[in-house]
Amino acid sequence: MFKKAFFHGIAASVLAAIAAIIYNHIYVFATETDYSSIINYGSMIGFSFAVCLLATFIYAGLVKWLGKKGEIIFSFVFSIISFACVIIPFAITLPLTIKMPEFFPGLTVPMVFFPAMAWYTVRPLFTLSN
Amino acid sequence: MKKLIYPVAALALLVASAFTAIKSQDWKISDGYSVKFDGGDPSGEFSGLKGTISFDPNDLASSKFSTSIDVASINTGNGMKNTHAKSDKWFDAEKYPTIKFTSSSITKTATGYAAAGALEMHGVQKPVTIPFTFENNVFKGSFEVNRMDYNVNTAEPNHGGAKFKVDITVPVTK
Repeated sequence: MFKKAFFHGIAASVLAAIAAIIYNHIYVFATETDYSSIINYGSMIGFSFAVCLLATFIYAGLVKWLGKKGEIIFSFVFSIISFACVIIPFAITLPLTIKMPEFFPGLTVPMVFFPAMAWYTVRPLFTLSN
Repeated sequence: MKKLIYPVAALALLVASAFTAIKSQDWKISDGYSVKFDGGDPSGEFSGLKGTISFDPNDLASSKFSTSIDVASINTGNGMKNTHAKSDKWFDAEKYPTIKFTSSSITKTATGYAAAGALEMHGVQKPVTIPFTFENNVFKGSFEVNRMDYNVNTAEPNHGGAKFKVDITVPVTK
């Protein structure tokens, strides 16, 4: 069971990281901002893997403990936490060397949702293979 | 008439050389300056420094600072705080777009110099004295500002700091 959850988490991590990298390129090009000292390939990949693999452990634990109800609870919890985390990019104080902090939430708020979106996107692949 | 040519030429040169001496006291603000404020939370900096600096350590009587800062250039590191600071509740950047300092006298002190003058912020002008040093073509000064003196968000005296330490570093060139 955990093996499937693990690969589910890995697949979601990769998808979320790719989405973040593509969005970062588009956003930086469109707004001519530069947050590369904070948001770079390393941090985007690391964030995606950290969130998705943490989700893997929580998902596996809830499903093992509560069965089908655990999966439903997990979906709600993941969505609610993702939405609550929207406040983080607005609250962060950047180093003064970074200009235009006003555009920072525009870059990072969508990224907060990428792990959950990726998780739900690849979910059918791992459900159908049951 | 011919006799007057040389005295007039000498006088003209004398007058011209006096202007050269006055010009040599004028300094241009270089890139790399910083105007930082620290009130705990928030803290940050302004980047729009402009003005004229006329300073000669050997002639403080004719030295003068006349500088201004663009309020909209405030950067606290947080976009929401920046927008908040520029709003009519705080600096009201639209109505009061600049913070100005004009010196009235500059004196020598034990540690450097002191510029006494008027600081105008948020439509209020108050006398201040800014102690500073001048070494290797860099002015460095530090002083304290109480935003309540300038009617900046007096409705919330405990929101953020009331007193701010301002640190100014201004490299200059002739």
